[in-house]
Amino acid sequence: MTQFKQQFDALLDYWPDEDSDLRAVRNNAFDRFNELGIPNKKWEEWQFTDFSNLNKSNFRLSWAEDLPNLPDKIPGRIPNTHLILMINGHYQSQLSDLPNGITVSTGVDHFNANPEDYHMNGNPFLALNTSMMNSGVPIIVEPNVVIEKPIQIIYLMTDFSEPLMNHPRFHFEMGANAQATIVEHYIGHSNIPHFVNSVSKVKVGDNAHLSHIRILETDDHAIYTASTDYSLSKDARLTTTSLSFGGHTFRHDIKLSFNGPGAEATLNGLSLTENAQHHDQHVVVDHGNDACQSHQLFKYILSDKSSGVFNGKVVVREHTKQTNADQSNKNLLLSPTALMNANPQLEIYAEDVKCAHGSTTGQIDPEALFYLRSRGISKQKAIELIIGGFAKEIIDSVDNDDVKSYINDHVTDWLEGTMHHG
Amino acid sequence: MLKIENLHAGVDGKQILNGISLTVNPGELHAIMGRNGSGKSTLANVITGRDNYEVTSGSVTYNGIDLLDMSPEDRALSGVFMSFQYPVVIPGVNNTYFLRAALNAKLKHQGLKEINAADFMRLIREKLKLVNMDEKYLSRAVNDGFSGGEKKRNEILQMLTLEPALSILDETDSGLDIDALKIVAEGVNNFRNSERSFVAITHYQRLLDYMKPDHIHVLIDGKIVKSGDMTLAHQLEEKGYSWLES
Repeated sequence: MTQFKQQFDALLDYWPDEDSDLRAVRNNAFDRFNELGIPNKKWEEWQFTDFSNLNKSNFRLSWAEDLPNLPDKIPGRIPNTHLILMINGHYQSQLSDLPNGITVSTGVDHFNANPEDYHMNGNPFLALNTSMMNSGVPIIVEPNVVIEKPIQIIYLMTDFSEPLMNHPRFHFEMGANAQATIVEHYIGHSNIPHFVNSVSKVKVGDNAHLSHIRILETDDHAIYTASTDYSLSKDARLTTTSLSFGGHTFRHDIKLSFNGPGAEATLNGLSLTENAQHHDQHVVVDHGNDACQSHQLFKYILSDKSSGVFNGKVVVREHTKQTNADQSNKNLLLSPTALMNANPQLEIYAEDVKCAHGSTTGQIDPEALFYLRSRGISKQKAIELIIGGFAKEIIDSVDNDDVKSYINDHVTDWLEGTMHHG
Repeated sequence: MLKIENLHAGVDGKQILNGISLTVNPGELHAIMGRNGSGKSTLANVITGRDNYEVTSGSVTYNGIDLLDMSPEDRALSGVFMSFQYPVVIPGVNNTYFLRAALNAKLKHQGLKEINAADFMRLIREKLKLVNMDEKYLSRAVNDGFSGGEKKRNEILQMLTLEPALSILDETDSGLDIDALKIVAEGVNNFRNSERSFVAITHYQRLLDYMKPDHIHVLIDGKIVKSGDMTLAHQLEEKGYSWLES
């Protein structure tokens, strides 16, 4: 814990003239984090995920001097998108391109306008983020605005020489009737450990449509923790697709609440793990309004000694009507040493409800493998086809063709890579 | 073409084939008839190389090469094909993509140029007509949402596309109504020539009425107990199998 205390003090020193209300929130949040501590195996909601590596490196907050020379080519760039670029936590306005109809405010302004968005719950990483939030942007899409091209936010960690950490804070707010696609894209490639603890608060206004794609691409030394909170107003539409590749440890807490009737949310995820990587996703969908629909499909593809956790909960509050909710978790183990823990849950306190949930974990279907091989397709190619087929359902849930093709290429590369080393 | 000698084989420790000998020459269609459990499908699975089937003695050669030593894909690339009794659904794998991947694997094996997507579409549309299949099946995942009859037509479509020298038709007639049966049989008949050979496994004479096999063999307890021509199929239809049991 001492490293976090040191870094917290350093942050307060770094911004001595910060808004006093914001400072009070930071102090409260840090106290809350200290009170809660880093989760360990005794915590029910965290029992399958080991965070001891957080204390094995001295993670330092990234300051302006940690900004490397700008890369010639921005990694992960998806064509035909607007760009918001952050490198090692530092916003690169000269390389960013913002469409009309959106407002990017400062963190302080956003905080002063929406103090309620900075409240905390029992998630220590959310408290840690609130205490040390040092990057990220609030993005507000004005009412009735349709942003045609996706907005790609690249959060790149690169070229650093000691363990760094960042606590990005994003707020995405869709005004009434607005439409947009936001790609929240984390890329971190380094042999030096890094820790990115992000929080994204997403509000989708009345009858607004948001497609939110989250991509994580990192490798064996990185720890990524994330909290994403969605709140949907009347008749809002949300589609989320979360693609997660790699990382020593990845934990994502997704919460969704319906704050108005008639809204619909589709939450999809695909996790790909190899070596000893570990992905843990907790999803809570809270139906507290009438005539809302939620659909969840989370898939994991696990190879080597990697492991996954999926914990999904759908809550339907008393007296809500016409709820339609389903949740599905499907996992494919590519090696006998890969491990999956799945725990789908329903908590229904209402009667007018259509709910379904299920979870399956299996290996490559030997019948399918033999069928493909009996047509002259090599064993390796057949396995790639079957895994690719398993992933396709999630990839296809992305509407935008450029984003879809980016993801598809990455899944294919991952598959070829994991097949060759495995 | 195919030479099976004194084949003994089983699955999961259970002995099923008890000494099968069979020679299939180029251009011939052999029918293998028998009850459930007589070993018909085991024979097909051993020829095509399904896992878990263990050959305890005997040999299977194809154009003089030991087939049993080869992987399933190498057998296929050499020209052996099986129309599955239960075609497998492969979620998320597009049927057209799969068919082209299979054809290209074969072309590559033969040292030929792979076929591009446009040429393949022209080719596959012709083949679809031969089995009276709607184009919509091309855009679906392999066998996904296909009825029993559509799955069997998709098997024959694959055969017509890959043009194997030896086709094993494992109960291709099961689950087909009479119209679908005629289409499948015609697909096979049009594909027959003096070089292509077939082994058709079936319970019933019906399929054979359309396909007109050169030889019929009756399998009981993993052994061929009688061989003959179409008259044997008619006798079986009338009298069943019991008169052949010792």
